[in-house]
Amino acid sequence: MIERPTIYQRRMVIGAVISAAAFALVGARLIDVTLFKPNVAGGDQIGRPAMARADMVDRNGELLARDLPVADLYARPHTLDDKMQAARELAAATGADYSRLLEGFNNTKHPYVLVARRLTPDAQDRVMHLGLPGLEFEPSAKRFYPNGRGTAQLLGVTDPDGKGVSGLEQGLDARLREVDATATVQLSVDMRVQYILASEVEASRQMFHAKKAGGVVMDVRTGEVLAMVSLPDFDPNFRQITADDSDHNIMAADRYELGSVFKVLTFAMAMEDHTTRPDEVFAIGNGYKIGKYTIHEAEHMPAVLTARDVLAHSSNIGTAQIAMRSGPVRQAAFLRSLGLLGSLRSELPEFARPLYPTHWGTIETATIGFGHGIAVEPLAYISAAASVVNGGRRIIPTFLKTDVDRRGAQVIKPETSAEMRELLRYVVTNGTGRKADIAGYDVGGKTGSAEKPGPHGGYQSHVLVTSFFAAFPIEAPRYIVFVLLDEPHGTKETGGLALAGLTAAPLAGRVISRIAPLLGVPQKPVTVARENT
Amino acid sequence: MIRILNTFCVALVGLSILALYHVSEQTRVARFELAGVNRQISREHATISVLETEWERVAGPARIQELAANHLGLSGAPAVQMSSFETLPRRGDDGAPLTNNPIAQANAQAPTNPVPTARRGL
Repeated sequence: MIERPTIYQRRMVIGAVISAAAFALVGARLIDVTLFKPNVAGGDQIGRPAMARADMVDRNGELLARDLPVADLYARPHTLDDKMQAARELAAATGADYSRLLEGFNNTKHPYVLVARRLTPDAQDRVMHLGLPGLEFEPSAKRFYPNGRGTAQLLGVTDPDGKGVSGLEQGLDARLREVDATATVQLSVDMRVQYILASEVEASRQMFHAKKAGGVVMDVRTGEVLAMVSLPDFDPNFRQITADDSDHNIMAADRYELGSVFKVLTFAMAMEDHTTRPDEVFAIGNGYKIGKYTIHEAEHMPAVLTARDVLAHSSNIGTAQIAMRSGPVRQAAFLRSLGLLGSLRSELPEFARPLYPTHWGTIETATIGFGHGIAVEPLAYISAAASVVNGGRRIIPTFLKTDVDRRGAQVIKPETSAEMRELLRYVVTNGTGRKADIAGYDVGGKTGSAEKPGPHGGYQSHVLVTSFFAAFPIEAPRYIVFVLLDEPHGTKETGGLALAGLTAAPLAGRVISRIAPLLGVPQKPVTVARENT
Repeated sequence: MIRILNTFCVALVGLSILALYHVSEQTRVARFELAGVNRQISREHATISVLETEWERVAGPARIQELAANHLGLSGAPAVQMSSFETLPRRGDDGAPLTNNPIAQANAQAPTNPVPTARRGL
């Protein structure tokens, strides 16, 4: 017979089981924390300040924008013995307003007072040396732009809470906030090209005393914007806009009647529709009457010109005749297919809707043919003009680095695009764009000198917007350069004239001659001029 | 037998208490040290971040160009002074280029003086 366990034995067994279970639990927990949760201390978050945004870097990895660690300083007034002295010392150490601090310290309703935001490590050291009780540093971040004004309009800025409020900071806000702490957002911008474009545009703006100026360099196959400049600019690291500064990006947020650079589009339409040939002769004369309106030339023209020379010498009358052959319906459809009658949306939040006539009749067709009567944002025009030279396919600009060919729908035939490239080269070798003809590179392009609309209707005859659209190397364009000068003035060297051929074309030429070697564009052999002896 | 087992269990419990206390204390110390190291790493990261940004500012193209112009007397070289591999001549008298691609006509005459370039501070 089996002897039943006594009550004590049962209790001991129960105790042993409970002990064994407790040991098993401790063992399981030890395995859990040692093998499965090695980072319980939160090592992942090291080194990133609160509200951190991802870095922005250029296409070569150069830093464009970064959150630097700073701190917001708070004080607990009830712990301060001498509030007046504390306010005075803190104001001196942080630059805060003394009276505001004193008022805050004497207000018993609030347990905390914000002394200063975004204190740099130096300022934090000064505060620590004061030895005041009741101070607390709240980690924060300050967005810093190493290139300052050079990328101001393009990158934009953030507000004090770290939210993008303009430029790519706003356009890429969600992406900059959501990326992993160690990741970066790589832009299509090339800082070297950006600097060259900015310095040359600024030099021309000063030389011709232009009110505003801008420029864009874009890859016509990927749509990547390598550089975008808008002047006047501002310093994004000091959020103060002075009288000479502007945070307005004229290349994306403004719309202009661009004038004769639009003739590129009119000729592309005519070549696509076979309504004219490059060697067809047009009568020019002293004026061209359409109903009660008469179209004039900006400069004296020969009595007759071939279509090729109509473009090269930028004849309004010749271009109007060519545009009218296609008619208003076809012209509107063509411009719509290039995206010029809608809003261009890119990563930039700034954009401007185009202005065009609601009644699009014969006279409107003629004037739009040479770039008057329609106002578009420069970036939208650049997108359209790129489609003309890149084989005829629609291309939307992007500000993010990409390696893929982003060309979309075919808007003109590849043969038409090749024909247009020849014509654009002819403009530079034999027409108004001669000053953009640079050694070593075949540049094709078109000038545009548009009179600005007056405040009370009509146009101001001596107030111009001059621009130049250039593609290079023109046999198989990879890049386009577009520069614009708003209200340039003639100089002694230009004979007092401010036309695009004398202001914008040489600017584009200088930009191309400096950026083409950097971008690895193959050179053509060059004959070296000899100096006179 | 039961008595031996009981004694062993009590001893084991006692030893476990001591071991757990030791581990707990080690963990507390290690956590304290880890927090210190994390703070140090954080400070180093912040410093590196600031230094990288500072480097980007001082090594930017605007400053390099200004320094090169002021201290080395350098100016912008014309593009035609830069050559490519394809335009190098073959060894020998004929001087033909290295590639068999036809060379297009010269499109313009190179200036004998460098094109003046504008400077612009950031």
